[in-house]
Amino acid sequence: MKVTINKAESYENESAVINAVAVTDEIRNAVDILRNNGASIPVISEGDTLMIRASSIYYIESVDKRTYVYTKDDCHETKYRLYELEEILGVNFLRCSKAMIINIKKIRSVRAELNARLSAELLNGERLIISRGYVKDLKKKLGVI
Amino acid sequence: MNRAKLIFNQTLMISTAILFGMGIRTAILFVTAGEYMISWQWYIPLSIIAVGFLCALASLILYDDSATGKVNMRVRVCLHCILVLAIVSLSGHFFNWYSSLAEYLIIVIMYIIIYAFVWIATVWMLKVDEKKINDAISEIRDEE
Repeated sequence: MKVTINKAESYENESAVINAVAVTDEIRNAVDILRNNGASIPVISEGDTLMIRASSIYYIESVDKRTYVYTKDDCHETKYRLYELEEILGVNFLRCSKAMIINIKKIRSVRAELNARLSAELLNGERLIISRGYVKDLKKKLGVI
Repeated sequence: MNRAKLIFNQTLMISTAILFGMGIRTAILFVTAGEYMISWQWYIPLSIIAVGFLCALASLILYDDSATGKVNMRVRVCLHCILVLAIVSLSGHFFNWYSSLAEYLIIVIMYIIIYAFVWIATVWMLKVDEKKINDAISEIRDEE
């Protein structure tokens, strides 16, 4: 595939356009990497260290100074702090409360509550609360402000 | 949004709502009794802001992050409604907003209309936002 890189004036103007006959696995991987979903983080599972792809993470929670990574069916501990994971995981992840980061792509739907919070239902059926103070960040990320 | 900003915004909104209610009342007096001039005691404008501030403090029970569940929220809304009515009634008595039972009943009716209107507007805005967010999420959502 022919690859052309043009210099952008600022980081905000950076973008990638892919012209392809079909969306193959390679192209999906490339898109994942460009969107930072190609990132992986080490987690501890039953004493072993595993690498988990960002795209398989549903949400991350901090409890008693320990950080837990939740995938569709599993929960693993990681040594990273939430603020570090926010930087590593990139644009598809959103801080939804003081102790939680959520993968926006794993949200099935949200429901507004009377106190201006959002109740988010994930693809695995779990429900999480997006605190009032972080709803604006979600809207910004989704481009609905 | 931090609490100070929340209280400030609520104070502005509630004070405006009270002014709106008083405006409606004076308009009704003009139409029904032909009263062109309204005279207020010097402290009335300040009392409106003071009541706005007290009602804003009461609204903190709605914005408590520990509140979960529909029932809990509905109970809090009922408590808030009663608490704000109590603040308006007592402040109204203290600041001489009313001098008879009939005038007090007008204030209560105005309060109920404004309170219901504010909630209807709030729920409508929340639902509009909810739909926008859900539409945007459906465009980027992973496949199940």
